[in-house]
Amino acid sequence: MNDFIYLKRLFQAYYQEKQFDFPKVSSFNLREFGLIPWEKKVFMKRHMSFDNLDNLRNYLIKDAPRHLYSSGSLYLKPDAQDMKNKEYQGCDFIIDIDVDHFYTPCKDQHDLWICRDCGEEGTGMPKICPKCKGSKFTKVSWVCDQCLDAAKNEITKLVFNFLIPDFGIDEKHLKIAFSGHRGYHLKIESEELRKLSSEERREIVDYVTGENINFEILGLNERSNIISGLLEENIGWSQKIMKKIIEVLNRPESVIETLLLDKNHFGFNSNVVTSFLKYKNDFLDLITKGERNVWAIEGFGLINWRKLLRGMVKQVGVKIDEPVSIDIHRLIRYPGSLHGKTGFKVQEIELNELDDFNPLDEFDEKLDPIVFKSKKKLTQKLEIVQNKLPISKIKGESFGPYVKGEKIEVPHHFAVFLLCKEVAKTN
Amino acid sequence: MSIPTDLIKRFPWLPSLKLHYSDIADKLPSEFITDIFSKSDSQQISECVFIIFKSAFNNLEDIPKMKEDNLTVYVYILLNILVYALNNKLITNRIANLYSKNVYSKMEKDNSESNLYYICLDLELRVNFYDPPIKFGNKMLKDNREKQVTNFAIYYIDYLKLASNLRDDYRKLAHNPLQNGYVYIQNRNLMRLIQEYVRNKIIIEETEDKASLKSFLEEVLKNQEFKELYEKINSIWTKRKEDFDFTFKIDITGKTDILKLYPPCVIEILKKAEEGQNLVHHERLFIVWFLLSLDYPVEKVVDVFSTLPDFDREKTIYQVAYAKKKKYVPYQCSTLQSINLCMKEKYKDKLCLEGYGSVEPSERKKLKHPLAYVRIKQYRDEKEEEYLKNKAKRVLEESQKQNE
Ligand code: SF4
Ligand SMILES: [Zn+2]
Ligand SMILES: [Zn+2]
Repeated sequence: MNDFIYLKRLFQAYYQEKQFDFPKVSSFNLREFGLIPWEKKVFMKRHMSFDNLDNLRNYLIKDAPRHLYSSGSLYLKPDAQDMKNKEYQGCDFIIDIDVDHFYTPCKDQHDLWICRDCGEEGTGMPKICPKCKGSKFTKVSWVCDQCLDAAKNEITKLVFNFLIPDFGIDEKHLKIAFSGHRGYHLKIESEELRKLSSEERREIVDYVTGENINFEILGLNERSNIISGLLEENIGWSQKIMKKIIEVLNRPESVIETLLLDKNHFGFNSNVVTSFLKYKNDFLDLITKGERNVWAIEGFGLINWRKLLRGMVKQVGVKIDEPVSIDIHRLIRYPGSLHGKTGFKVQEIELNELDDFNPLDEFDEKLDPIVFKSKKKLTQKLEIVQNKLPISKIKGESFGPYVKGEKIEVPHHFAVFLLCKEVAKTN
Repeated sequence: MSIPTDLIKRFPWLPSLKLHYSDIADKLPSEFITDIFSKSDSQQISECVFIIFKSAFNNLEDIPKMKEDNLTVYVYILLNILVYALNNKLITNRIANLYSKNVYSKMEKDNSESNLYYICLDLELRVNFYDPPIKFGNKMLKDNREKQVTNFAIYYIDYLKLASNLRDDYRKLAHNPLQNGYVYIQNRNLMRLIQEYVRNKIIIEETEDKASLKSFLEEVLKNQEFKELYEKINSIWTKRKEDFDFTFKIDITGKTDILKLYPPCVIEILKKAEEGQNLVHHERLFIVWFLLSLDYPVEKVVDVFSTLPDFDREKTIYQVAYAKKKKYVPYQCSTLQSINLCMKEKYKDKLCLEGYGSVEPSERKKLKHPLAYVRIKQYRDEKEEEYLKNKAKRVLEESQKQNE
């Protein structure tokens, strides 16, 4: 608990120092604010509002909560306790991409879980405990470059494969921010999108994820034992899928094989894969020439074709946290605020900065989310309280792995990270 | 570009009506009524309106052809006044359905891209108009290629506003060609969206303000001819009504609040049916399978549909009985979500939104099936009952103890 008081003071000092750089979101006084304080057992406080940025800054300097959020929605009375009385005016379109919601191979190394029923421990993202089949876990999720790259890749796909070419959305309406942990937020601020209902938002979500696509509607069907498939020239998802198939089939055979067998991608059994590989060149020929539409591969009925297409959709579609985009009363992290589980800043970035942006080792100081880096190379002594911790690479330096009880001396910014994560304590 | 007056005459629901016919569109209803019934062709106008009501009550698919095309504007306005005056959701929905269907078939018969374009402009739909039509894809079976062409692309926001309510898999955005913010849409499908616009336009909310409705009625019923028409419609409605006035009683176990056991997706459909709104194919299938899975008798399930504009009892009995024999399983949540029938957001339903099984959010299980919803709610209800029973028992015991 003492460590939380310490962290709170750090956060206060940070807000004090940076108060004049603190960003202001659009329609500031129409937003609902929410926060989670450092005190344990206190849940989120919602339904707050601030008349102007000064009031918010002063509040942060005085109170520095662990997490700070504001609404995607605009309300005439953002501080009304009841949704009905808030006088809803519209909501930005928000997309949340977070590695928590999809698989990355490196998580098998660095994400820890502890079964709440039997105490078994392990790494990765299991759905049930391999020992007792329980489904309740305590999780310790970790940050890593690969995960953050995967998240960035999704944002890039979203913007350059969907929002700009398909929806014709103007770059200047896009606001991107690093979430301060394992993902990115993207906000589209435009008057017309603000008016969309949840149902209409769901349509856009389904479009960018490809999740509920019905291949029959796109053209897959079987008539008198002949299967016809999708066509590359058909604008929209048909084209996206077919381009992906062509791209994948042009890879080396061994690469295709691994991909098709991989449970996290296609998950075909080896017989099917063998048959597919045997006919793959003919198939590739057929779909690139586009003279005939007869999809014939031995062992491939509609079920396998659907499975193949579904796998392609997974590669093309963007992995987003759907409810965030659909629910119009969500709160999202306030840009410029600190994330209380890492001590990193929620960092806004321009679209053209995204490519080079490297949250765990950013050179451009203006964009660096790791704000507690001590110029004087201050270090701090801590004791690990978590059973095991994976290797961490932050600011180009590697730390760990650690085990419980280990006493360590690490740079200030990494110490803050471990304390925020609640996996270490000060001595 | 201004819209041809002739088009407004035939499609009087177009917003420009107000500009071209300011003399009639701006009048107070009572003035308008006096005006109409002093015209020489008032007889024909009121006959047309009556036919529309009659067709709607008789579940006709379209309005019988009427020659009085030059009266359409009056007919439309009078129709709206009557709908408002009758103030009955079932009637409103029937009229809106039928009238909008008729608009569709008129546009289809027209078969004129330029008219369609004018209509879009007038409705302030953002469309791209291609003349000659452009190709946006192909359909191909074996080596037989069929070009897909259209005159139109519609801005995706406008598309969503009109199409997402139709809950039709073919109209899902992800199944349509979207490029640069515009959805290529074939003329017929665009007409279908306009039909939906017209339907929504006729459906004015049933007014809660009984006082103003009453004074409105008093005012307009002063006109004798209007009064006659109003009463004639009312009387055929009263006769027809009995045929489809089975409000759905969900009470099979004797509990009155059994509605609480049903998930939002089900409630929404039952509500729509109760109000006589049209149900799309998926909605019909789902509600039938769902109720049958809960062992509702066939006649009860059929009654749900009795309020719909196209209800045919015999046909429905046959279909429901067939479904019962086939033992179909109702759609699961993910399917319902994909076809826009999931209503958890709209109803802010806690169980649907947050899952179940634990107070800790990360440990909750997601709800996967609407039938699971019923089971969980039932379970919770029983637990609560048990708790209350036990509590009553405890109180009783306490009081007995005290008595001792
Ligand atoms: S979550 Fe499932 S049960 Fe709930 S409304 Fe949606 S589809 Fe129905
Ligand atoms: Zn276990
Ligand atoms: Zn990782």
